[in-house]
Amino acid sequence: MSRPFQLPEVSEPFSAEFRSLLPALLATRGKVGAGRIERLRARRTVLSQSGTFVGHRQYERGDDLRHIDWSAYARTGELFTKQLEDDDRRAVTVMIDLSPSMLAGTPPRRLAALRLAAVLGGLALARLDAVSIVAPGASNPNQRFTGIGQLPRLLHHLEELPVATETPNAAAALALQAEAVGRVHWISDFAVPPDFRLATLSLRRRGARLTGWLPAVPEDESPPTGGYLRVIDPETEQELSVPVDRSLRDELHRQLMLLQRQQRRMFAEAGCQLWRWEQGDAAQPRLSDYLPIVSLCAR
Amino acid sequence: MNLTEPQYLWALLLLPLLWWLSQPPKPRKQVVSAHLAQWQLAMRALRRKPPRGSWLRFALLALALIAACIAAARPFQPAGQGPTKLVVLLDASASMAVTNGDQSAFARAVEQLRPDLDAVPEHVDVTVLRCGGDLLRRYGVAARELQDLGEPAGSLDADLVQLARELTTSECVAWTVTDGQGQTQLPEVGALTMLDTAGPNGVITAVRIVDAWPLPTLQLELDIEAHGSSQQIDASLHVQGAVLQPQTMRVELQRGRMQTHRLSLQRSKNGGNLTIELRVAGDRLQVDNWHTLRVPPLPAPRVAALADGDAGPFVSAAAGALAEEVGGEVVTMADGVAVGLLLVDGGFVALQKENGELEKRRVLTFGTRLSQDAEPQPWLLPSPVDWSRTSDLTRGLDLSELRIQRAWQNLLPAGEPFVWWVDGNRKVPLGVVVDHGETASVHLAFRLEDSNLPLLPAFPQLLRRAFVRSYGKAQTSIATPLVPPPGERDLMARAEADDRPLPAFADPEVVLTRWFVAVGLLALAFRAFVR
Repeated sequence: MSRPFQLPEVSEPFSAEFRSLLPALLATRGKVGAGRIERLRARRTVLSQSGTFVGHRQYERGDDLRHIDWSAYARTGELFTKQLEDDDRRAVTVMIDLSPSMLAGTPPRRLAALRLAAVLGGLALARLDAVSIVAPGASNPNQRFTGIGQLPRLLHHLEELPVATETPNAAAALALQAEAVGRVHWISDFAVPPDFRLATLSLRRRGARLTGWLPAVPEDESPPTGGYLRVIDPETEQELSVPVDRSLRDELHRQLMLLQRQQRRMFAEAGCQLWRWEQGDAAQPRLSDYLPIVSLCAR
Repeated sequence: MNLTEPQYLWALLLLPLLWWLSQPPKPRKQVVSAHLAQWQLAMRALRRKPPRGSWLRFALLALALIAACIAAARPFQPAGQGPTKLVVLLDASASMAVTNGDQSAFARAVEQLRPDLDAVPEHVDVTVLRCGGDLLRRYGVAARELQDLGEPAGSLDADLVQLARELTTSECVAWTVTDGQGQTQLPEVGALTMLDTAGPNGVITAVRIVDAWPLPTLQLELDIEAHGSSQQIDASLHVQGAVLQPQTMRVELQRGRMQTHRLSLQRSKNGGNLTIELRVAGDRLQVDNWHTLRVPPLPAPRVAALADGDAGPFVSAAAGALAEEVGGEVVTMADGVAVGLLLVDGGFVALQKENGELEKRRVLTFGTRLSQDAEPQPWLLPSPVDWSRTSDLTRGLDLSELRIQRAWQNLLPAGEPFVWWVDGNRKVPLGVVVDHGETASVHLAFRLEDSNLPLLPAFPQLLRRAFVRSYGKAQTSIATPLVPPPGERDLMARAEADDRPLPAFADPEVVLTRWFVAVGLLALAFRAFVR
């Protein structure tokens, strides 16, 4: 007979300190993304499945076969993918995992995920035309925001997101309902990589430039050192009573490293990047903790 | 199955507590993790399983507790139908000493019992009651081994019929082993084993002894009887041992009728065992045919005689004759010489102390002054002289011819007079016996040469009686032998019945405690392997 447990709550994810930090963070966009390469990549992010042809790029595994320029292949013998750019829909999609497993960690991973979504959304509003927040399980799972003026509304929307359980495939399907899929930031713990494999591949095949974001918590690499623990999976509510000793801790650390490898491999197989971001001190957020997000977005 | 102490089953109420204690401890710290799969993989890699309650483990533990409770209640399988106790009533009366060859009936009974008792199942309580003579009880191993049952003797005082009847219950069986002698009927319940002891038997039923100690004369009075199939039974009496002349006497006995025979014997000087035996042809019970009397040796006194110069030869002659008659010897009175009897004729011997008591007990004096203070006055021709007709010294003696020329007054110590001068209505003692309990001394107020006493035919007898009285009876006892009880004499008069075998005993009670202990231990052992 399992005892009931209380899920940790994430109250007020966007504290005053974070809100005061956000404008400065969004203002660093020019410095961080000033390079030519970054600009090119930023441009790439608005390429779409339909729109104006803006050039070619080297074919990459997972690209939509319909966009291969066979004429160029006939001329050069190399595969090139046609680059199209939306005219008026240069947007970013931020998918955020609302599952209970995101409540694990100290502080909960969901806190970092929401702040990460706020930063990514803010950057998109400041740089591009719009951002779509795809939150499977929410009452309004696909909310679109346009212009930097909607940043408060974006933050409010993120704060109001519930805890919900949806499969990664459902989340991917929800993201693909948009008319054009550009750059997709998927924020999740990717706790069970095989469950995400099909979703990442389908997104990639539909032309989405997928970037995985994994808000790291200390427990991902540093298991408990000892004690008799009741380990609970908040998603399945399964639990395990475990006396922890040194050998178990070492083995668990090995398993966590193995999980990280599986996560990286999964994204590599989909031709995508997986960024692991550590939030730092959640109570006293510092600009330096969030600059890597800006930097990674500019790549 | 039954329980000896079922109150221990209350311990089963501990089962809920046991269930509670069997639960694994609850972790106090809670960790919410998205990596439960990794925890499980790590546990699996280390071949570990989380602590958890197992119904099988609890069931095994509960089984161990239940088995322990039942074991504490001492379970057993009740015994089957039939007796579980055996009481052997073993007749050990005197008739069981009848021999057949070189083995008595009692010994044969014991030999028969031994293998039968060995065959009695171990769970049967065995008691052996030796009936007859001393009542002995043996129980358990001592009973099965028939230890120290003694020899048959005495009468069968126990009523075997009543004993067997009262002992016999649904759980107990009595087994009577007897020859039926001295009984009118035999037990009708339980097992019965009869022993054949019938046959002719002669028996000395009583021995009476008339002992003339310290004189060698010994008279025996024997009551004898014989039993057999014929009306007239020839027998012989044999007396031998501590007598000068062994005697044999042929007797004709009527069946079952007691005869009394008297034997006059002269015992030997050194004493010893005197054997009296009645011999009857075909006698089956020898032990009641003979008796052995322990005859002590004769005193063989050392007789000394003291006489002054005026004395005649009488006292020396009397000492010699007495010593010869009683097997003693005459010794000369001197310092360091032990004397058994002292004869003194005249003179002075310091025997009397100031308080009037005599220092020496076995003394016979004739006109002897016993104390320095005594002043005897001569007393001429005291006449007439009379004597006691009842005294041990003079009973049956004729002293009418006693003439005394001179006697001495104020000479005799205080004592019992047995001869005296009759002065009208007054009797003046001329001889007294001073009684000292077991011994005595005899004193006469005249000397032998002043009277014709040595010449009288009664003198040797008086001298012998004075000797006997002086020695007393302290060492003369000859133990009168025990005689066989009346019921054990006629071996032809016996109750008879057919032998009855022992019934089948109940199956043993099976104690199940060890099985439950084993089940409990087995459950605990299995529990150690169940994860």
